[in-house]
Amino acid sequence: MSEMWINMGPQHPMTHGLWNLRVRIDGERILDVDPEMGYLHRGIEKISEDRHYNEVITLMDRTCYVAGIAWEHLYVQAAEKALGIAPTERSDWIRMMSEEFQRLASHIMWYAAFVQDLGLMSPFLYGMRDRDLILDLFQSYTGGRLTYEYMRVGGVRNDVPEGFTHRAREVLDWLEPRFVEYDRLCMGSDIFRRRCDDLGVLKANDCVRLGVTGPMLRSAGSKRDLRKDRPYSRYSQVEFDVATADSADVTGRYLVRMEEMRQSVRILRQVLDWLDSHPGPVLADHLPRWLGAPYAPIGREAYLLKRNYPKGVGLSAIEEPHGEACAYVVNEGGEHPYRVKFRSPVFANLSAAHHYLVGYHVADIPPIMGSVDVCVGEVDR
Amino acid sequence: MNPEDVRTKLAAAGAPGIISIEPFEGVAARVKFDPTAATALFPIVRDALGFPHLSMVGGIDWVERYEVFYLVWSDPAKTYLLLSADLDAKAPHIETASACWPSANWHEREAWELVGIQFDHHPDLRHLLMPDGYQFHPLQRAFKLHEPEDLEVKVRHV
Amino acid sequence: MSTPGPAVASVAKPAAAVVGPGGELPIVSSDVSFVEIETLRSREFIPEAKEALSALVKEQAEGKLIRPVFNWAGRNSLFPLHWGLACCAIEFAAAFGARWDAERFGVVPRSSPRQCDLLIVNGTVTWKVAHKLIALYEQMPEPKWVIAMGNCATGGGPFRTAYSVVPGVDKLVPVDVYIAGCPPRPEALLDGILRLEALIRERGA
Ligand code: SF4
Repeated sequence: MSEMWINMGPQHPMTHGLWNLRVRIDGERILDVDPEMGYLHRGIEKISEDRHYNEVITLMDRTCYVAGIAWEHLYVQAAEKALGIAPTERSDWIRMMSEEFQRLASHIMWYAAFVQDLGLMSPFLYGMRDRDLILDLFQSYTGGRLTYEYMRVGGVRNDVPEGFTHRAREVLDWLEPRFVEYDRLCMGSDIFRRRCDDLGVLKANDCVRLGVTGPMLRSAGSKRDLRKDRPYSRYSQVEFDVATADSADVTGRYLVRMEEMRQSVRILRQVLDWLDSHPGPVLADHLPRWLGAPYAPIGREAYLLKRNYPKGVGLSAIEEPHGEACAYVVNEGGEHPYRVKFRSPVFANLSAAHHYLVGYHVADIPPIMGSVDVCVGEVDR
Repeated sequence: MNPEDVRTKLAAAGAPGIISIEPFEGVAARVKFDPTAATALFPIVRDALGFPHLSMVGGIDWVERYEVFYLVWSDPAKTYLLLSADLDAKAPHIETASACWPSANWHEREAWELVGIQFDHHPDLRHLLMPDGYQFHPLQRAFKLHEPEDLEVKVRHV
Repeated sequence: MSTPGPAVASVAKPAAAVVGPGGELPIVSSDVSFVEIETLRSREFIPEAKEALSALVKEQAEGKLIRPVFNWAGRNSLFPLHWGLACCAIEFAAAFGARWDAERFGVVPRSSPRQCDLLIVNGTVTWKVAHKLIALYEQMPEPKWVIAMGNCATGGGPFRTAYSVVPGVDKLVPVDVYIAGCPPRPEALLDGILRLEALIRERGA
């Protein structure tokens, strides 16, 4: 009887956030796992029912803190459908650009943290250095490094500043050769390959059955990418390829993310060209006043009664850096959403943990969980 | 895929308990069904209609009733389908979908804990996000947010 | 020793050119790139060491404890617990990245609470994690300090009204330094750490 349960978390260097992986082991072999979530459950869906439509955007940044602007994009699309508002064309392109920059930043953050888990220090330093350049770009047009509050129902808050596209291209020029460097550090290292090959295998049909999406699914050979399959925003107007691998293991997920970064750069160059040649408004006209900040409470009750609120339900889905994210916004009239429900990709990817961890060794947990790219904020919400 | 396709395919497969099939922006259709027919309907949607990927399960408290909705995705048709069922307000319960789509497991645990919908025959219906023994269902309309000054009240909650 | 003033002053420097392995690093906005630390440690480090050592010799002769040395060594090598709670943890990580490099202040995150003397609460504390946080705090050896990083740790932040969130970590453990911001920039975190050091110098370990 050498079986036992051990807790990895909530404070453990492997977890990258606040969750607990309970593992049943026999010697070094994993027999069973039970992820314990909820340590970061902040009630975002409940608080949203108490906020104005535009105020919920603040919470979205904090939901997934490595991909804040992608979640803003997810939410505003659903809210716009629920409210019957259309964004302006230019704002749609800016949103798409933001999402791609966020994908770059999120994947670089993943790279930094994942490779550090394997014991390599320099990728962390290189990764954080390059990620900061993207955050500087974000800062130059949204004002924030991590929490942007940039998108609005009906558009975005402000246009990008003058000279932005030039600076953005400079950053992209700097980043592209870095990917080669990253690859040399990892794929060129025999130790990295031996540590990661054939680990955490989850085949495509299992992924579909278990709801696993994103780079994990694409590393198993599937080509599902909502940007291509169900184009939202202006993704139908840019050219890019869906990155896939077929090994379905940790190395495959690494390769998919690396290729996705290259494709993001490719998309971004097209978007920046478009932005240069198409000036225009970034916020829709004639937005209802109650969408904005709270107004003075004088005569509030009477004022409320007089108004005509639209009703509706909005559903949106985006390919977030971690996978497929969906939002369901119910608008029952009034200034607050009646119900907001999110689908977090990491939530589903983690729920399948049993299937890609059991049978491996305890020392394999950090690379495997690293390759899942856990962001607890969006799992617990 | 449009609502008509969904209707013909469901009829061809002999799907029970369909109440209505209506268009819905962004998905193929919204299918309202009778919760007692869930066990028979889910495999038909998965196999005959070809929706093997379950994206999410969510619950809504409409005060006079509960609603549970399922969002499913089809790879060949490249579209979503929304299934929804109205549940009784007194004792909302429905058959689990996790026998058909294993990914429903955690989504249903969450919907049970936050909205208070009971999923019959669920393999593992225990708390996911809140601590064990938490008595409340925060996403019900009757649950009000506290001011942080009510610290004592909150401590009693947990 | 001079009285501890504000430890960090941000000086807007012209965009500096940093030469990386692949050419020049494009610094995007000059105002955010670098911060000059007014009271740079190395200037004070040696005189303080001398002072502490002479006090040590004196106190040993009197048969007293070695407090000053302890204080000097402890505050110059604060080891925070490597623990990411929420969004602020990302900025916490950025502070240890290449641009801000918090390790130059002797701040090295450790993964075991037994090796730490500083708990940086970098995110939202929920009731579910509260007793785990207290357990970690109690495992840390004395003397120990707590920094509440960000609005959530300070007072609940945007999630103040949520049913599952502790409105401020000071309801659970004693806090020495609060850092405002949602999230605080890495400079603010460094400022908080330097303020904590000033506090330790003043109060004693
Ligand atoms: S203070 Fe803001 S950024 Fe920090 S954990 Fe709280 S919500 Fe996140």
